[in-house]
Amino acid sequence: MEKSIEAIWKQGFLHSDALIAPKINDIYSKKSMHIIEKFEKMFLVNIWGIIIGSSLLFIGAYLAGATFAGSIILLMMLYVAYTAYHEMKTLEKIDKGQNSYAFLKSFKDWIYRSIERYGNMYRIVYPVLILTFYFGIWFSDVFVNIRELVVEQSNDLIFGLHIYTTVVVIITAVMMGVFSKAIHRRDVKTMYGGIMKKLDLALAEMEELRE
Amino acid sequence: MSSDFYNSSILPYAAIIIKICRAYTNTQEDFEDYYQEVCLQIWKSRNNFRGQSEWSTWVYRLSLNVSMTLLKKQKTNVQQLDSGFLPTEVSEEPRAFADDSLEQLYSAIRQLSEIDRGVILLYLEEKSYQEIADIIGSNPNNIGVRIKRIKGRLKKLLDGKIN
Repeated sequence: MEKSIEAIWKQGFLHSDALIAPKINDIYSKKSMHIIEKFEKMFLVNIWGIIIGSSLLFIGAYLAGATFAGSIILLMMLYVAYTAYHEMKTLEKIDKGQNSYAFLKSFKDWIYRSIERYGNMYRIVYPVLILTFYFGIWFSDVFVNIRELVVEQSNDLIFGLHIYTTVVVIITAVMMGVFSKAIHRRDVKTMYGGIMKKLDLALAEMEELRE
Repeated sequence: MSSDFYNSSILPYAAIIIKICRAYTNTQEDFEDYYQEVCLQIWKSRNNFRGQSEWSTWVYRLSLNVSMTLLKKQKTNVQQLDSGFLPTEVSEEPRAFADDSLEQLYSAIRQLSEIDRGVILLYLEEKSYQEIADIIGSNPNNIGVRIKRIKGRLKKLLDGKIN
Protein backbone atom coordinates (compact mmCIF):
# COMPACT_ATOMS: atom_id res chain seq x y z
CA MET A 1 0.00 0.00 0.00
CA GLU A 2 1.23 3.46 -0.90
CA LYS A 3 2.30 5.63 2.04
CA SER A 4 1.02 9.17 2.38
CA ILE A 5 3.59 11.98 2.44
CA GLU A 6 2.50 12.77 5.99
CA ALA A 7 3.33 9.18 7.06
CA ILE A 8 6.68 9.24 5.23
CA TRP A 9 7.52 12.48 7.02
CA LYS A 10 6.63 11.23 10.47
CA GLN A 11 8.23 7.80 10.13
CA GLY A 12 11.34 9.12 8.40
CA PHE A 13 12.25 11.37 11.27
CA LEU A 14 11.93 8.55 13.77
CA HIS A 15 15.43 7.47 12.67
CA SER A 16 17.91 8.83 15.17
CA ASP A 17 20.38 10.04 12.53
CA ALA A 18 17.86 12.18 10.61
CA LEU A 19 18.11 15.24 12.80
CA ILE A 20 21.74 15.55 13.79
CA ALA A 21 22.70 19.23 13.94
CA PRO A 22 25.99 20.08 12.26
CA LYS A 23 28.72 21.53 14.42
CA ILE A 24 28.95 25.28 14.37
CA ASN A 25 32.52 26.22 13.69
CA ASP A 26 34.22 29.10 12.00
CA ILE A 27 30.85 30.56 11.22
CA TYR A 28 32.21 33.38 9.09
CA SER A 29 34.58 31.45 6.84
CA LYS A 30 32.47 31.73 3.68
CA LYS A 31 31.55 35.33 4.36
CA SER A 32 35.21 36.28 4.86
CA MET A 33 36.25 34.64 1.62
CA HIS A 34 33.38 36.33 -0.18
CA ILE A 35 34.37 39.80 1.05
CA ILE A 36 37.98 39.33 -0.04
CA GLU A 37 37.07 37.76 -3.37
CA LYS A 38 34.79 40.70 -4.11
CA PHE A 39 37.56 43.12 -3.18
CA GLU A 40 40.05 41.27 -5.41
CA LYS A 41 37.64 41.43 -8.33
CA MET A 42 37.12 45.18 -7.87
CA PHE A 43 40.86 45.67 -7.49
CA LEU A 44 41.50 43.85 -10.77
CA VAL A 45 38.82 45.88 -12.55
CA ASN A 46 40.48 48.99 -11.17
CA ILE A 47 43.89 47.92 -12.55
CA TRP A 48 42.39 47.33 -15.98
CA GLY A 49 40.61 50.66 -15.71
CA ILE A 50 43.97 52.39 -15.15
CA ILE A 51 45.58 50.58 -18.11
CA ILE A 52 42.69 51.22 -20.51
CA GLY A 53 42.14 54.81 -19.31
CA SER A 54 45.79 55.79 -19.63
CA SER A 55 46.03 54.11 -23.05
CA LEU A 56 43.03 56.11 -24.27
CA LEU A 57 44.58 59.24 -22.80
CA PHE A 58 47.80 58.50 -24.68
CA ILE A 59 45.87 58.12 -27.94
CA GLY A 60 44.09 61.41 -27.22
CA ALA A 61 47.41 63.11 -26.42
CA TYR A 62 48.95 61.73 -29.62
CA LEU A 63 46.06 63.05 -31.71
CA ALA A 64 46.30 66.42 -29.94
CA GLY A 65 50.01 66.64 -30.71
CA ALA A 66 51.11 66.12 -27.11
CA THR A 67 52.75 62.72 -27.57
CA PHE A 68 55.54 63.39 -25.09
CA ALA A 69 53.16 64.36 -22.27
CA GLY A 70 50.89 61.43 -23.18
CA SER A 71 53.88 59.05 -22.99
CA ILE A 72 54.85 60.30 -19.53
CA ILE A 73 51.28 59.90 -18.28
CA LEU A 74 51.00 56.44 -19.86
CA LEU A 75 54.29 55.27 -18.33
CA MET A 76 53.40 56.67 -14.94
CA MET A 77 49.96 55.06 -14.93
CA LEU A 78 51.40 51.74 -16.12
CA TYR A 79 53.77 51.95 -13.18
CA VAL A 80 50.76 52.55 -10.87
CA ALA A 81 48.95 49.57 -12.44
CA TYR A 82 52.04 47.38 -12.05
CA THR A 83 52.37 48.41 -8.39
CA ALA A 84 48.69 47.66 -7.84
CA TYR A 85 49.08 44.25 -9.48
CA HIS A 86 52.12 43.53 -7.33
CA GLU A 87 50.14 44.64 -4.27
CA MET A 88 47.30 42.29 -5.21
CA LYS A 89 49.76 39.42 -5.35
CA THR A 90 50.76 40.12 -1.75
CA LEU A 91 47.07 39.89 -0.85
CA GLU A 92 47.07 36.31 -2.13
CA LYS A 93 49.82 35.53 0.39
CA ILE A 94 47.49 36.13 3.35
CA ASP A 95 47.16 32.79 5.11
CA LYS A 96 43.71 31.47 4.27
CA GLY A 97 44.15 28.67 6.79
CA GLN A 98 43.78 30.93 9.80
CA ASN A 99 40.42 31.49 11.44
CA SER A 100 37.98 33.96 9.86
CA TYR A 101 38.58 36.67 12.42
CA ALA A 102 42.38 36.57 12.02
CA PHE A 103 41.93 36.31 8.26
CA LEU A 104 39.75 39.43 8.04
CA LYS A 105 42.04 41.26 10.47
CA SER A 106 45.03 40.47 8.23
CA PHE A 107 43.02 41.70 5.26
CA LYS A 108 42.17 44.96 7.01
CA ASP A 109 45.84 45.42 7.96
CA TRP A 110 46.76 44.78 4.35
CA ILE A 111 44.35 47.52 3.20
CA TYR A 112 45.85 50.07 5.59
CA ARG A 113 49.43 49.09 4.72
CA SER A 114 48.48 49.36 1.07
CA ILE A 115 46.94 52.84 1.55
CA GLU A 116 50.15 53.91 3.29
CA ARG A 117 52.37 52.63 0.47
CA TYR A 118 50.13 54.08 -2.23
CA GLY A 119 50.02 57.39 -0.40
CA ASN A 120 53.82 57.57 -0.60
CA MET A 121 53.80 56.68 -4.27
CA TYR A 122 51.13 59.26 -5.08
CA ARG A 123 53.27 61.92 -3.39
CA ILE A 124 55.21 61.84 -6.68
CA VAL A 125 52.52 60.56 -9.06
CA TYR A 126 49.85 63.23 -8.41
CA PRO A 127 52.14 66.28 -8.94
CA VAL A 128 53.83 64.74 -11.99
CA LEU A 129 50.46 63.91 -13.54
CA ILE A 130 49.06 67.39 -12.97
CA LEU A 131 52.15 69.18 -14.25
CA THR A 132 52.51 66.87 -17.26
CA PHE A 133 48.85 67.31 -18.06
CA TYR A 134 49.11 71.08 -17.79
CA PHE A 135 52.31 71.47 -19.81
CA GLY A 136 51.14 68.82 -22.27
CA ILE A 137 47.87 70.60 -22.99
CA TRP A 138 49.46 74.05 -23.07
CA PHE A 139 52.02 73.08 -25.68
CA SER A 140 49.78 70.74 -27.68
CA ASP A 141 48.74 71.43 -31.29
CA VAL A 142 45.07 71.86 -30.37
CA PHE A 143 45.97 74.67 -27.97
CA VAL A 144 47.87 76.78 -30.54
CA ASN A 145 45.12 79.37 -30.96
CA ILE A 146 44.57 79.87 -27.23
CA ARG A 147 48.34 80.02 -26.65
CA GLU A 148 48.69 82.76 -29.29
CA LEU A 149 45.73 84.64 -27.85
CA VAL A 150 47.30 84.61 -24.36
CA VAL A 151 50.65 85.78 -25.78
CA GLU A 152 48.90 88.65 -27.58
CA GLN A 153 46.81 89.78 -24.65
CA SER A 154 49.05 89.25 -21.63
CA ASN A 155 52.50 90.39 -20.61
CA ASP A 156 52.61 88.07 -17.61
CA LEU A 157 54.40 85.24 -19.37
CA ILE A 158 57.30 83.00 -18.54
CA PHE A 159 58.68 80.52 -21.10
CA GLY A 160 55.46 81.02 -23.05
CA LEU A 161 53.28 80.10 -20.07
CA HIS A 162 50.85 82.36 -18.29
CA ILE A 163 52.58 83.10 -14.95
CA TYR A 164 49.57 83.15 -12.60
CA THR A 165 47.91 80.07 -14.12
CA THR A 166 51.22 78.24 -13.92
CA VAL A 167 51.74 79.26 -10.29
CA VAL A 168 48.23 78.04 -9.39
CA VAL A 169 48.85 74.72 -11.18
CA ILE A 170 52.25 74.28 -9.47
CA ILE A 171 50.76 75.08 -6.03
CA THR A 172 47.92 72.61 -6.71
CA ALA A 173 50.46 69.96 -7.75
CA VAL A 174 52.54 70.55 -4.61
CA MET A 175 49.45 70.48 -2.39
CA MET A 176 48.31 67.24 -3.96
CA GLY A 177 51.74 65.79 -3.28
CA VAL A 178 51.59 66.94 0.35
CA PHE A 179 48.06 65.64 0.90
CA SER A 180 48.50 62.57 -1.29
CA LYS A 181 47.71 60.13 1.53
CA ALA A 182 44.49 61.90 2.52
CA ILE A 183 43.41 62.15 -1.13
CA HIS A 184 44.19 58.50 -1.74
CA ARG A 185 42.33 57.51 1.42
CA ARG A 186 39.27 59.37 0.09
CA ASP A 187 39.69 57.65 -3.30
CA VAL A 188 39.78 54.26 -1.61
CA LYS A 189 36.70 55.14 0.43
CA THR A 190 34.82 56.16 -2.73
CA MET A 191 35.78 53.01 -4.62
CA TYR A 192 35.81 50.38 -1.91
CA GLY A 193 33.72 52.11 0.79
CA GLY A 194 30.88 49.57 0.58
CA ILE A 195 33.15 46.60 0.95
CA MET A 196 35.15 48.21 3.76
CA LYS A 197 31.92 48.90 5.63
CA LYS A 198 30.99 45.22 5.26
CA LEU A 199 34.43 44.27 6.51
CA ASP A 200 34.11 46.50 9.58
CA LEU A 201 30.62 45.12 10.28
CA ALA A 202 31.80 41.53 9.98
CA LEU A 203 34.73 42.22 12.30
CA ALA A 204 32.47 43.95 14.83
CA GLU A 205 30.07 40.98 14.80
CA MET A 206 32.94 38.56 15.18
CA GLU A 207 34.32 40.50 18.10
CA GLU A 208 30.89 40.32 19.70
CA LEU A 209 30.74 36.60 18.95
CA ARG A 210 34.14 36.08 20.57
CA GLU A 211 33.10 37.75 23.81
CA MET B 1 27.22 33.78 19.86
CA SER B 2 27.40 32.38 23.35
CA SER B 3 27.00 28.65 23.80
CA ASP B 4 24.25 29.49 26.33
CA PHE B 5 22.21 31.22 23.65
CA TYR B 6 22.84 28.40 21.20
CA ASN B 7 21.92 25.71 23.72
CA SER B 8 18.81 27.43 25.07
CA SER B 9 17.37 29.27 22.07
CA ILE B 10 18.57 27.43 18.98
CA LEU B 11 19.37 23.82 19.79
CA PRO B 12 15.80 22.96 20.98
CA TYR B 13 14.62 24.14 17.54
CA ALA B 14 17.47 22.57 15.58
CA ALA B 15 15.08 19.97 14.15
CA ILE B 16 13.04 22.73 12.49
CA ILE B 17 16.14 24.35 11.06
CA ILE B 18 17.56 21.03 9.85
CA LYS B 19 14.31 20.07 8.12
CA ILE B 20 14.11 23.42 6.35
CA CYS B 21 17.77 23.60 5.36
CA ARG B 22 17.64 20.06 3.96
CA ALA B 23 14.77 21.10 1.68
CA TYR B 24 16.78 23.93 0.15
CA THR B 25 20.13 22.17 -0.31
CA ASN B 26 21.41 19.25 -2.31
CA THR B 27 24.76 18.62 -0.68
CA GLN B 28 25.96 18.11 2.88
CA GLU B 29 28.36 21.06 2.53
CA ASP B 30 25.55 23.41 1.47
CA PHE B 31 23.33 22.05 4.21
CA GLU B 32 25.98 22.84 6.85
CA ASP B 33 26.50 26.33 5.41
CA TYR B 34 22.75 27.04 5.43
CA TYR B 35 22.40 25.70 8.97
CA GLN B 36 25.24 27.90 10.19
CA GLU B 37 23.87 30.95 8.40
CA VAL B 38 20.39 30.41 9.87
CA CYS B 39 21.87 30.07 13.38
CA LEU B 40 23.93 33.20 12.84
CA GLN B 41 20.92 35.17 11.59
CA ILE B 42 18.82 34.00 14.56
CA TRP B 43 21.53 35.25 16.89
CA LYS B 44 21.92 38.54 15.01
CA SER B 45 18.17 39.17 14.80
CA ARG B 46 17.32 38.01 18.32
CA ASN B 47 16.57 41.56 19.44
CA ASN B 48 13.95 41.89 16.68
CA PHE B 49 11.85 39.13 18.25
CA ARG B 50 8.94 41.01 19.83
CA GLY B 51 7.15 38.02 21.32
CA GLN B 52 4.11 38.55 19.08
CA SER B 53 4.41 34.95 17.95
CA GLU B 54 5.92 31.78 19.39
CA TRP B 55 9.71 31.66 19.29
CA SER B 56 9.42 28.48 17.18
CA THR B 57 7.21 30.29 14.63
CA TRP B 58 9.74 33.07 14.45
CA VAL B 59 12.53 30.49 13.94
CA TYR B 60 10.50 28.89 11.11
CA ARG B 61 10.03 32.24 9.43
CA LEU B 62 13.63 33.24 9.75
CA SER B 63 14.93 29.83 8.62
CA LEU B 64 12.72 29.93 5.54
CA ASN B 65 13.68 33.48 4.66
CA VAL B 66 17.39 32.82 5.08
CA SER B 67 17.23 29.55 3.12
CA MET B 68 15.26 31.14 0.28
CA THR B 69 17.68 34.06 0.10
CA LEU B 70 20.71 31.78 0.06
CA LEU B 71 19.14 29.61 -2.62
CA LYS B 72 18.44 32.67 -4.78
CA LYS B 73 22.04 33.82 -4.37
CA GLN B 74 23.30 30.37 -5.22
CA LYS B 75 21.12 30.19 -8.34
CA THR B 76 22.44 33.58 -9.50
CA ASN B 77 26.02 32.41 -8.99
CA VAL B 78 25.40 29.20 -10.92
CA GLN B 79 23.81 31.14 -13.78
CA GLN B 80 26.87 33.38 -13.94
CA LEU B 81 29.14 30.35 -14.36
CA ASP B 82 29.98 29.40 -17.89
CA SER B 83 28.69 25.89 -18.46
CA GLY B 84 32.17 25.03 -19.78
CA PHE B 85 33.49 25.26 -16.25
CA LEU B 86 30.99 22.79 -14.86
CA PRO B 87 32.39 19.34 -14.14
CA THR B 88 31.26 16.68 -16.58
CA GLU B 89 30.97 14.08 -13.84
CA VAL B 90 29.19 14.83 -10.62
CA SER B 91 30.43 12.84 -7.65
CA GLU B 92 27.82 10.89 -5.70
CA GLU B 93 26.66 12.76 -2.59
CA PRO B 94 26.23 10.71 0.58
CA ARG B 95 22.59 10.24 1.50
CA ALA B 96 21.14 12.68 4.01
CA PHE B 97 18.65 10.20 5.45
CA ALA B 98 18.81 6.49 6.19
CA ASP B 99 15.11 6.20 5.40
CA ASP B 100 14.62 5.63 1.65
CA SER B 101 11.12 7.07 1.56
CA LEU B 102 12.16 10.25 3.34
CA GLU B 103 15.12 10.63 0.99
CA GLN B 104 12.75 10.31 -2.00
CA LEU B 105 10.28 12.74 -0.46
CA TYR B 106 13.00 15.32 0.09
CA SER B 107 14.27 15.00 -3.45
CA ALA B 108 10.70 15.58 -4.66
CA ILE B 109 10.29 18.59 -2.34
CA ARG B 110 13.51 20.07 -3.77
CA GLN B 111 11.86 20.10 -7.19
CA LEU B 112 9.15 22.48 -5.97
CA SER B 113 9.37 26.25 -6.09
CA GLU B 114 11.01 28.02 -3.14
CA ILE B 115 7.67 29.12 -1.64
CA ASP B 116 5.99 25.76 -2.21
CA ARG B 117 8.83 24.04 -0.35
CA GLY B 118 8.19 26.30 2.62
CA VAL B 119 4.43 25.74 2.52
CA ILE B 120 4.68 21.95 2.39
CA LEU B 121 7.31 21.83 5.13
CA LEU B 122 5.08 23.84 7.43
CA TYR B 123 2.10 21.66 6.51
CA LEU B 124 4.08 18.51 7.27
CA GLU B 125 5.06 20.05 10.60
CA GLU B 126 1.35 20.24 11.32
CA LYS B 127 1.12 24.00 11.36
CA SER B 128 -2.39 25.38 10.90
CA TYR B 129 -3.35 27.19 7.68
CA GLN B 130 -3.43 30.41 9.68
CA GLU B 131 0.10 29.84 11.01
CA ILE B 132 1.38 28.91 7.57
CA ALA B 133 -0.25 32.02 6.12
CA ASP B 134 1.34 34.15 8.87
CA ILE B 135 4.78 32.68 8.28
CA ILE B 136 4.65 32.81 4.49
CA GLY B 137 2.75 36.10 4.36
CA SER B 138 -0.31 34.81 2.54
CA ASN B 139 -4.03 34.28 2.99
CA PRO B 140 -5.19 31.13 4.92
CA ASN B 141 -7.83 30.43 2.26
CA ASN B 142 -5.19 30.25 -0.45
CA ILE B 143 -2.96 28.02 1.65
CA GLY B 144 -5.44 25.12 1.60
CA VAL B 145 -5.73 25.23 -2.19
CA ARG B 146 -2.01 25.54 -2.54
CA ILE B 147 -1.29 22.57 -0.26
CA LYS B 148 -3.68 20.42 -2.25
CA ARG B 149 -1.89 21.36 -5.46
CA ILE B 150 1.57 20.75 -3.95
CA LYS B 151 0.54 17.36 -2.59
CA GLY B 152 -0.73 16.43 -6.04
CA ARG B 153 2.58 17.43 -7.55
CA LEU B 154 4.55 15.52 -4.91
CA LYS B 155 2.39 12.46 -5.46
CA LYS B 156 3.17 12.59 -9.17
CA LEU B 157 6.87 13.00 -8.50
CA LEU B 158 6.88 10.13 -6.02
CA ASP B 159 4.58 7.91 -8.04
CA GLY B 160 6.12 4.50 -8.44
CA LYS B 161 9.13 5.35 -6.34
CA ILE B 162 7.71 4.69 -2.91
CA ASN B 163 5.59 1.74 -1.89
